[in-house]
Amino acid sequence: MNPEYVRVLHVHKWFRRGSEQVDVLNDLTLQVAEGEFVGLMGPSGSGKTTLLNLIAGLDRPTSGEVWVKDQCISAMSEGQLAGWRTRGIGFVFQFYHLLPVLSAYRNVEMPLLLLPLTAAERKERVLTALDLVGLADRVHHRPGQLSGGQQQRVGIARAIVTDPDLIVADEPTGDLDAKSAEEILALLCELKTSLNKTIVMVTHDPRAAARADRVVHLEKGQLVTEPTPISAAM
Amino acid sequence: MNLLRLVIDNLVRNPMRTILTSLATMIMVLVVTGVFSILSFLAAATTEKAENMKGIVSERWQIPSQMPWSYAASLKEGAPYQPGDLKVAPKDSMTWSFYGGSTDSNPKNRSVNTILFAFCLEPQALLTMMDDLDTLKGPPRKDLEASVAKLEQNRIGIILGRERAKSLGKAVGDRFTVYSFNYKDINLEFEVVGLFPPGRYDLSSAIRGDYLQSSLDAWSREHNGQLHPMAGKSLNLVWLRLKDQKIFSQVSDQILTNPSFTSPSVKFETASSGVGTFLQAYRDLIWGMQWLLAPAILFTLSLVISNSISINVRERRTEFAVLKVLGFRPWQILLLVLLEALLVGVTSGLVSAGGTYLLVNNVMGGLRFPIAFFGSFYIPEAAWWWGVAIGGGTAFVGSVFPAWSARTVKVAEVFAKVA
Amino acid sequence: MTQLFAVLTFFWNHRPETLAVALLAVAGLGLISRVPVAYSAMNLVVRWWTVSLTIFAFVLVIGLLIVMLAFVNGMYALTKTSGQPGNVIILADGATDESFSNLAITDVSDIANQPGIVRVDNAPLVSRETYVIVNQPIIDGAEGRPKRRFLQVRGVDNPEISATVHGLKLMPESRWFSDAGVGPLPGAPIDAAPAVEIVLGNGIARELGLDRKPEVRAKAKDAERLVPGDTFALNNRTWLVVGVLESSGGTYDSEVWGKQSLLGPMFGKDNYSTLVIRTKDAATAEQMRDFFANKDDKGYTKAKLNAIVETKYFEGLSQTNVQFLIGAVIVAVFTAVGGIFGVMNTMFAAISQRTRDIGVLRLLGFRRSQILVSFLLESMLLAIIGGALGCAIGCFADGWTANSIVSGGPGGGGGKFVVLKMQVDAAVLSTGMLLALTMGFFGGLIPSISAMRLTALDALR
Repeated sequence: MNPEYVRVLHVHKWFRRGSEQVDVLNDLTLQVAEGEFVGLMGPSGSGKTTLLNLIAGLDRPTSGEVWVKDQCISAMSEGQLAGWRTRGIGFVFQFYHLLPVLSAYRNVEMPLLLLPLTAAERKERVLTALDLVGLADRVHHRPGQLSGGQQQRVGIARAIVTDPDLIVADEPTGDLDAKSAEEILALLCELKTSLNKTIVMVTHDPRAAARADRVVHLEKGQLVTEPTPISAAM
Repeated sequence: MNLLRLVIDNLVRNPMRTILTSLATMIMVLVVTGVFSILSFLAAATTEKAENMKGIVSERWQIPSQMPWSYAASLKEGAPYQPGDLKVAPKDSMTWSFYGGSTDSNPKNRSVNTILFAFCLEPQALLTMMDDLDTLKGPPRKDLEASVAKLEQNRIGIILGRERAKSLGKAVGDRFTVYSFNYKDINLEFEVVGLFPPGRYDLSSAIRGDYLQSSLDAWSREHNGQLHPMAGKSLNLVWLRLKDQKIFSQVSDQILTNPSFTSPSVKFETASSGVGTFLQAYRDLIWGMQWLLAPAILFTLSLVISNSISINVRERRTEFAVLKVLGFRPWQILLLVLLEALLVGVTSGLVSAGGTYLLVNNVMGGLRFPIAFFGSFYIPEAAWWWGVAIGGGTAFVGSVFPAWSARTVKVAEVFAKVA
Repeated sequence: MTQLFAVLTFFWNHRPETLAVALLAVAGLGLISRVPVAYSAMNLVVRWWTVSLTIFAFVLVIGLLIVMLAFVNGMYALTKTSGQPGNVIILADGATDESFSNLAITDVSDIANQPGIVRVDNAPLVSRETYVIVNQPIIDGAEGRPKRRFLQVRGVDNPEISATVHGLKLMPESRWFSDAGVGPLPGAPIDAAPAVEIVLGNGIARELGLDRKPEVRAKAKDAERLVPGDTFALNNRTWLVVGVLESSGGTYDSEVWGKQSLLGPMFGKDNYSTLVIRTKDAATAEQMRDFFANKDDKGYTKAKLNAIVETKYFEGLSQTNVQFLIGAVIVAVFTAVGGIFGVMNTMFAAISQRTRDIGVLRLLGFRRSQILVSFLLESMLLAIIGGALGCAIGCFADGWTANSIVSGGPGGGGGKFVVLKMQVDAAVLSTGMLLALTMGFFGGLIPSISAMRLTALDALR
């Protein structure tokens, strides 16, 4: 099995804006090992979020390939991608994006509705996930009744409830105060060490980046420093 | 189903919009149900039956049909005059004369509350020949049978429709006099012997045909043998029920070739065809109801629903994007939006049509829409599923486009704006 | 309740004026609001999809109303123009309508010679008529057309005098039927049975014309209507059209006129049904009515008669108009209420989308009432655009012909089957715009109030 869990190979991504062609990613290659926590930094417009969307299968490269585990997700159809996302990946947003009308429990349960599980099985998984993020006592609160940090924990619980190996996070601490941010980062590290999740996190915050095993800098759609290949430790 | 739970959660989220859309649906369904009720009733009344068809003998040319009473006896039997001719049984025939008047002797005081129009017929025909009464079952049938029995005993008896009894302020056992305006000076005294079962005959009344005819004769005796102006014109229609098309045409031949009916000459047609001729005058009105009114309302309703769903979808673009990120398939999102609209549409449609059915039939006593000789209309039971179909159909039409646009929400674009 | 009804009747009778006042009020609101109308207008442009859906709904509701009212208007026009001032209709005593009336021949001559009736060339202006409604089977008719119809046949003695009494004129290339009421069929053998000569009202000429099969119509002189020279079949006779009447806008447009002495017996009515006398003016007509009806036992006693001033007679036939008008209004009110809910949806969405705008406006110092007016104006603007388009579409209904019936309702006797011209006029259009404005106002009011109640800080959060 390939220890390189995520492989982004010679990816180009450009948009048309009017008559002008805007290059967002330019022949970018990045590999992330299984169980690795990678921080993605760079100024606004450098293509971080686009890269993250490509890895999460939310967007397609103009050319090049994106592989996750042993699947080429850049070649999948919309439908295949959607199915793959349910089990294969957990997404954590900067603004949490919880459904405001639903309780924490129901929010976390959401992706499980797509899997062939009984209500009892779902309940077990949801409670485990909420317990893991430390919200066992907030199960029936609605997003509006939770603090930012708590909402983000619900977001993380939702990301891990289907037990994906890969978690992508788009500035998960960007909207939080320092203390909450610290807790969220600790939680992410915990997921990596105890559950062996592979994590790709976009961030502006150097303190957040410091928690990662490795930090990759992006500028104008290219990696600025070649990532130091890590030894095939696994 | 899990998706259904989500749908309901979303509907509850913006109760105002759900309620407004649902109210709009209910109102429109109400109007369309009313229109459809009238149209379907008229369509049923003009549809030719294959068996047990009722036919009407009437004056050949003139409207209103006025035939001499002397025609009655032979016409009631289907006018047999040659050996081998068919003879219609008494239970399959009925003579009709119309007697109209007011309970107030002064013509200036005629009003809806004093006017009365009565069918003059054979009492038994009420049970065997009158539309809807001939198929009556259960206790209402027993009641009517009792009333008819009393009418047979009582020459001056009258059976009133419930509405009519109410507007005249009369109850069973009451006696009153009616001052006629179509049989001048034939002012008859009546005694109420019973009421029609609620429904189609709420505004009608029925008296004995022989009462009217003998009163005309009495008038003659009092006026030195002079004929009453309406003598010789006091038979309006003769109804016959015939088993099938073959027998119908045979009896039709008998009536049309019988030499006794030449002055005036008569015609014989199926009840549905007779009704159809009367409705010709309303042809354009009915056309307008069917092809302008109903479609315009349905279309307006689709627009209102479409508008509401579009707004909903636009507000929830981010949410749909998140659902996509969580792995929901585009078709599931499409279904989510469609189901939401359908749930509102079908529920409102059902509630509205059902409510209209109960309200119009049980509380209002029919929909007043005087067209030809029909006074009020009833909402058929089919209205329940019309409501479902109209609500569901318009909701579907109205939500397909917004649902499609929800389906095609581009995740990357939505988040590019947010982040 | 009666006061409310009186107020509504007043507005109904002054619809164009009411609309003008309402539009002025809207313009006035625009002046008070201070929030530029351009802001409201631009917002409509930005939300073009929702806005066009809403406007389209307005167009349908208003268009429908206009068509319905144009129909009723056509019926009223019919009953208003059929009567001639100065005419009195005389029927047999006890007859509520022409079709029930039988006048003895001797009485008719005596009545016609009473003083008070206008005379021309020493002959009284009296139309002697036998009116019958004939059940006409349509033989060999076109697909989709009725199989039978009620044909209103009026037999008259002297067509010129009758036409003068009723104010009717023949179209060019028309003539009256012969004195015998029959004539040779053009091109037929000499020994063939003569045709029944008749003159058609303008509306019925069109109806009968449409009964013909397409291939017959294609070869006809006029594909749309029967013209002099055309024939149709009835009662085993050939009926030859020798003339068509100019459209009078009245019920006579839907009648077939022929010789009384021929048509009466043919359809089983030997007596006259109706006598219409011309007096010199409306006031004299009232007196003559009283005279022939033998009011207070001081009038005509040779025969018992029922006399009605002709204009009153036709006014009495407006019972069906009233029923249809009520029907149209009920439908309009219901669809409008449905539409209001639609507008409310649109406006609530508009407001929730622009919560921040409202906050900014409040911070800039706009008063709550001005916010309210601004949103109300937006919804009225929607209504005006939609209403105007609906009216424009409804205008196409102007001039459509339609079949209908006019009658005096229960107790009034038989009705008349008529071909009417739908009429869109200022009052109808004003009704449409007023309904649109009402929908816009009520649909916008509650959302606007909710916008008004937002506090600046809440709105900006």
